[in-house]
Amino acid sequence: MGVFLKPDTSVKLGRLELKNPVMTASGTFGYALEFEPYMDVERLGAVVLKGLSLKPRDGNPPPRSCETPCGMLNSIGLQNVGVEAFIKEKLPRLKRLKTRVVANIFGETIIEYAEVARRLDSADGVDAVEVNISCPNVKKGGLSFGSDPSGAAKVVTAVRKATKLHVMTKLSPNVTDIRVMVRAVEDAGTDSISLINTIPGMAIDVERRRAVLSTVTGGLSGPAIRPIAVRMVWEAAKAATVPIVGIGGIVNARDALEFIMAGATAVEIGTANFLDPASAIAVVHGIEEYMRKNGVRTIKEITGAVN
Amino acid sequence: MSSATIINNSRLGGRFFRLSLRWKCGGVLPGQFVMLRVSNSLDPFLRRPFGIYDFSGDVLDILYKVVGKGTGMLSTLAPGTDVDILGPLGNGFPPAGKGKNPIMVAGGIGIAPFYLFAGEVKEGKPSLFYGAKGRDEVALLKDFKSRGLKLNIRVSTEDGSIGRKGLVTDILKERLGEDSVVYACGPAGMLKEVSNIARKRGVKCYVSLERAMACGIGVCLGCAVKTRKHPPASAYRMVCSDGPVFNGEEIDWGCF
Ligand SMILES: Cc1cc2nc3c(=O)[nH]c(=O)nc-3n(C[C@H](O)[C@H](O)[C@H](O)COP(=O)(O)OP(=O)(O)OC[C@H]3O[C@@H](n4cnc5c(N)ncnc54)[C@H](O)[C@@H]3O)c2cc1C
Ligand SMILES: Cc1cc2nc3c(=O)[nH]c(=O)nc-3n(C[C@H](O)[C@H](O)[C@H](O)COP(=O)(O)O)c2cc1C
Ligand code: FES
Repeated sequence: MGVFLKPDTSVKLGRLELKNPVMTASGTFGYALEFEPYMDVERLGAVVLKGLSLKPRDGNPPPRSCETPCGMLNSIGLQNVGVEAFIKEKLPRLKRLKTRVVANIFGETIIEYAEVARRLDSADGVDAVEVNISCPNVKKGGLSFGSDPSGAAKVVTAVRKATKLHVMTKLSPNVTDIRVMVRAVEDAGTDSISLINTIPGMAIDVERRRAVLSTVTGGLSGPAIRPIAVRMVWEAAKAATVPIVGIGGIVNARDALEFIMAGATAVEIGTANFLDPASAIAVVHGIEEYMRKNGVRTIKEITGAVN
Repeated sequence: MSSATIINNSRLGGRFFRLSLRWKCGGVLPGQFVMLRVSNSLDPFLRRPFGIYDFSGDVLDILYKVVGKGTGMLSTLAPGTDVDILGPLGNGFPPAGKGKNPIMVAGGIGIAPFYLFAGEVKEGKPSLFYGAKGRDEVALLKDFKSRGLKLNIRVSTEDGSIGRKGLVTDILKERLGEDSVVYACGPAGMLKEVSNIARKRGVKCYVSLERAMACGIGVCLGCAVKTRKHPPASAYRMVCSDGPVFNGEEIDWGCF
């Protein structure tokens, strides 16, 4: 009987095979190594690392984060060590991990995006790049490309040319019609699409009569955004021919299964890593348990169950 | 990320509470902290950071002040309740070194991390200068006094109800010797002032900082403070993983 067999949790993002659909979301999982004391990182389908830019970035002034109902706002501003330091200092230790390593990349210009991708391409140890054209917390680059289809297409075209690695494009929810963005990045040659990045939001400290975040607005994440994310993944999956990776407010396996049933091939766990550093592993176990209980043999059986 | 069981959770007076948890860990350093989930639901959403007050084998103590929703909920939890705990986290206070006299300067609930630290001071003549708003806060000193430590305790209250009337920094200015090393924990304004006083006298000063935290383990980059470091090094340091204890001179106080 199928129910007694170990379910097959593996999924395929194009030619990239993952042992299970559970990935981590960029900016919430550091460089993955920080989580080794708390979990067996190799049990994850893939790890997605903190956004990398060509040069090191200082990030935004504090305060950079604040709690909101069922979520949080952040305006980190992509503080990172830069792609060269990453390749020298972090990658050697990541290489030995028996899981997929996805580098999240960012540029202020199209040339920078392509250059970061090119350097990662020639460094051994990265399986895919996730192109962040959807960060709301930087003045240049990021969302300024991700909010219009032609800008998005230009970035993806340039990255596509710069690397043979799997190219995943990360979309913003801050657009009128996600399907237009999906088609634009597909035509530009992306291998998969991940969504959503954070939703622009704002909180005010009424005692001090000023915004809580130094940048005034920030990106909202966590369960508060999940219904929006599920809806957008569902819309994107119907419009797309490439695989979709669902992100937004996933805390447990049931949340992850919502995205899969909405049409996502894989999911990324973000803010939940802050609530419990072992969240992502709990999602892996929970999905297995669901499959066992319900006689589901492969993830494919339930992918896009709701259409 | 492990579970701890509440042994005791009682009010010390005013809005101050002491929480005792049965919890096993490999050991803690004075000045480190833990992150607690005060509820099993997603409200409040994030963990709350608390300094370690005392630790002995398998009992962890925390001293806390009710200031909002999370600490309010914490204060209602009964003995026997399990709470999710992450830690010990952060760096802790470095020792003062040979021939140095440690001076601990605390404001209000900032007294918490010094109980463990005072117990571990092996050298020099340690002092504790405590700035309190009034009687409720002075009550937090009881344990320090009953412990039989060779600790020179001086108190100031803003209302003059106990000890000297005024600010704790007034005491520090009078009693800071060149052979001192200062350790400070309390409101940012006090820390800045303490740090300035120490710098002017050429005395080393460590400050324990607070920031709203999400992850507690250095990955969200949310709890940044600005330092006087210049490029190519990033000017920002994380309170949870680079601190919470910093050399006061390194901090750019404009960010508070
Ligand atoms: C490293 C570290 C160690 C700490 N150690 C202790 C400790 O030993 N004992 C203790 O009582 N508290 C300690 N704190 C502060 C404690 O974490 C906060 O008071 C707590 O998170 C407030 O949660 P809340 O939900 O009750 O308040 P919220 O509802 O989140 O906030 C209520 C009010 O309190 C203010 N507030 C929130 N967080 C802080 C903060 N960190 N500092 C000052 N005001 C704040 C808010 O601005 C708001 O006005 C520590 C903080 C840090 C970062
Ligand atoms: C603190 C923080 C930092 C983030 N940094 C990045 C980043 O560097 N690059 C990126 O593409 N997304 C970044 N994100 C967005 C997340 O990857 C994710 O898309 C978003 O948080 C929604 O998922 P969640 O609700 O599960 O957190 C960040 C989110 C948070 C909360
Ligand atoms: S709280 Fe996340 S980096 Fe400090």
